[in-house]
Amino acid sequence: MQDKLRAFIDTLFEDAPAGKKVVELKEEMLQNLNDKYSDLLSEGKSEEAAYNLAVASVGDVSELLRYLRREEGDSTREQEELMRYRRRSAVVVPIAVILYILSVIPVMLIDRQIGVVSMFVMIAAATGLLIWNSMSKPVYVRQDDTVVEEFKEWKMQSGHRRQAFRSISGAIWSAALAVYFILSFITMAWHITWVIFLITAAVNSIIKAIFDLKE
Amino acid sequence: MDALSITSDLIRGNTDTIILAQLRLGDSYGYKINKAIQRKTRSQYELKEATLYTAFRRLEENGYISSYWGDESTGARRRYYTITNEGRQALERLKAEWQTAKALIDALITDEEETDHAG
Repeated sequence: MQDKLRAFIDTLFEDAPAGKKVVELKEEMLQNLNDKYSDLLSEGKSEEAAYNLAVASVGDVSELLRYLRREEGDSTREQEELMRYRRRSAVVVPIAVILYILSVIPVMLIDRQIGVVSMFVMIAAATGLLIWNSMSKPVYVRQDDTVVEEFKEWKMQSGHRRQAFRSISGAIWSAALAVYFILSFITMAWHITWVIFLITAAVNSIIKAIFDLKE
Repeated sequence: MDALSITSDLIRGNTDTIILAQLRLGDSYGYKINKAIQRKTRSQYELKEATLYTAFRRLEENGYISSYWGDESTGARRRYYTITNEGRQALERLKAEWQTAKALIDALITDEEETDHAG
């Protein structure tokens, strides 16, 4: 008979948007319906009568469905934001790559000093674009209440950590870029100062590992 | 429309108040709340489940209640609801509103008006 009640609930929410909230609501309602059903049985009702009474007690779910649709609409907005970000990335990332490639041209065409400087300005612009793009990526915060409270907490914590890591990482790369230019212009040792970026990448990976281990 | 459905329309308008009042007695879940309502009204009234769950969602959205999943050792898990401080305040407000409405309706439907004119 549990299956029959489950089938009934499934039909009830056939038109509901798919999502965690709906799954949870169905589980909640099914559990309560089962309780009611077994209470009716213990009152001496027949299986058929108990099922009919339990089903009849549900009533009109149209308002409930409206609520679920509206909540689902909220997450659609987040999806749209994510889509906008993807479209923007599709423009920004190629521009940065083109800047990287073109950056050697001034060195080949113009006399040494200005050529080198403009090459690094282009590299800086490209790197800045990439960092800005990844830092302003929308964080996907789901607003719905999840099945289990602990899971919700874990998700929130890890979400915060990820956000914290992204901020730290962004700061490290920006700092590395600044250090690179300052050191390079002071020492004029352009041939070796690029090692800073390798070191930065290593530091970044270590920090990421620490964050992952904590999780 | 029979007398019973008018009564349930009146009660339905106060669903939030009723649920909040039940939750003030302690955390509870859907079916238990409905059973308590049935017991208190000597089976004269029972909320439709759809009404109950819509109210839960509305109340939770307003921050009057919050929910958590219990960890029963047997059977499926139940979603429990608990009243928040804001919910308690809202309950007091709703109760006062009901008292006002009750007094107003009483004043409007009793036959005292004629004796006032006579005097």
